[in-house]
Amino acid sequence: MKRILKLHVNGEEFEILTEVNKTLLEVLREDLGLTGTKRGCDLGACGACTVVIDGKPHLSCITLAAAVQGKKIMTIEGLAQEGKLHSLQKAFVEKGAIQCGFCTPGMILTAKAFLDEHPHPSEGEVKKAISGNLCRCTGYVKIVEAIISAAENV
Amino acid sequence: MRLPKFEYLEPRSLKEASKALAADPVGTLLLAGGTDLIVNMKHGVIQPKRLINLKAIPKLAYISDRKDGLKIGALTTLHDLASSSLIQEKYPVISQASKEVAAYPHQVMGTLGGNLCQGNRCRFYNQSVFWRGTRSTCYKAGGEVCHVVPGRPAGGREPIECHSTYCGDMAPVLIAMDARIKVVGRVEERNLSLKRLYTQDGKKPLSLKKGEILKEVFVPSPSGKTLYLKWRLRDSLEFPIVSLAFLIERNGDGKTEKTKIIFSGVGSGPVEASEAEKMLKDASLDNLMIEKVSHQAVKEISPMRTSIASPAYKRKIAGILLKQALENFKS
Repeated sequence: MKRILKLHVNGEEFEILTEVNKTLLEVLREDLGLTGTKRGCDLGACGACTVVIDGKPHLSCITLAAAVQGKKIMTIEGLAQEGKLHSLQKAFVEKGAIQCGFCTPGMILTAKAFLDEHPHPSEGEVKKAISGNLCRCTGYVKIVEAIISAAENV
Repeated sequence: MRLPKFEYLEPRSLKEASKALAADPVGTLLLAGGTDLIVNMKHGVIQPKRLINLKAIPKLAYISDRKDGLKIGALTTLHDLASSSLIQEKYPVISQASKEVAAYPHQVMGTLGGNLCQGNRCRFYNQSVFWRGTRSTCYKAGGEVCHVVPGRPAGGREPIECHSTYCGDMAPVLIAMDARIKVVGRVEERNLSLKRLYTQDGKKPLSLKKGEILKEVFVPSPSGKTLYLKWRLRDSLEFPIVSLAFLIERNGDGKTEKTKIIFSGVGSGPVEASEAEKMLKDASLDNLMIEKVSHQAVKEISPMRTSIASPAYKRKIAGILLKQALENFKS
């Protein structure tokens, strides 16, 4: 059954005619062309598909698009403002926290939501916060460094 | 992985949701955080015709402090429980247990009601269609055989049993604290102890009747100290291999008045070690007593081979967790 969904993504309103059995991940990638949100495990276990909804991290692969109408959705494409990278994005580049880059959008958005809640976290708190985001390249050391550095520079 | 097709409903009240649920109790399922439900739908082990999104109903997420205890709306997220200063101060173990569930985004999405009503788990059930395709459909997924205990007794008259395991984190803690729940049906509401929500039947783990929906959890003011110890493969995301909620109330002499020993991950519902609790009545906690009690508790659980952890390993860990808990209160 198709329905018109009204979604608020990265500060813009969209009306999308789509199936109600679609996940938010599918709508973002297929209907809106926002492919920065990655499909990893597709089962809510790897964190690659993380987006920020109303300020909090959500796994878009196990979120129904129909269920998040009226909420403010932010994907990685909405983080940089006026062509300038967000402090987290800058820190990830500067600290070399990106290798293949597949986990990066989810990792940065989880960190964004977390730092908004906890502006001065300890290393342990950062590790706990990103523990639902899997990275198979870096070993996490530089990612943790980047998040702490971004917190210090805000 | 596309989700199968379904009809999607957003009711405005619990009564409306309850009516819709009762109209087709087999084909309709309730959606709260979806962290368990959507995954099971992708795996094809459940195929609802209709989903009712409870998050569309207003005023079901609240934490309210009363003289006699705490009222928590079923749609309150685990993240809200973990970060509530009221809960951190007065009911710290609830905050701690909420943080032990999966990881940050799951805690943001997942609700207390959803966590309490989460499906039982089994290594033959929580798998993809491809993985499960090598065997006949298991009893829980609609087939005729339980692969955990595959041999059916001769004659085949004995009913098949589903041995799937309850792996929730919140239930053991809240049962130890004597929590009660309010469920809403089409006509009336009823209150029952949280313990009675669980049937210990792997195929139908909850005692909710036709059209009933969990609305609220009431936790009495804490009378003792409660601990929650969770053992899992890694310190995030995972369900417990075994976990233990332990409550202790002591009198002025340091002797135990009341204890609660509730395990998760070792049965088809949360499991209480009642005989071990009785042994602790009026006891002093010395090394010998701790050894005896943990030995007794291990005899009261019957874990099955439903995950990669063997029943023997689960028994061993259950004993160790209880010893660790008791060591904190040694005389």
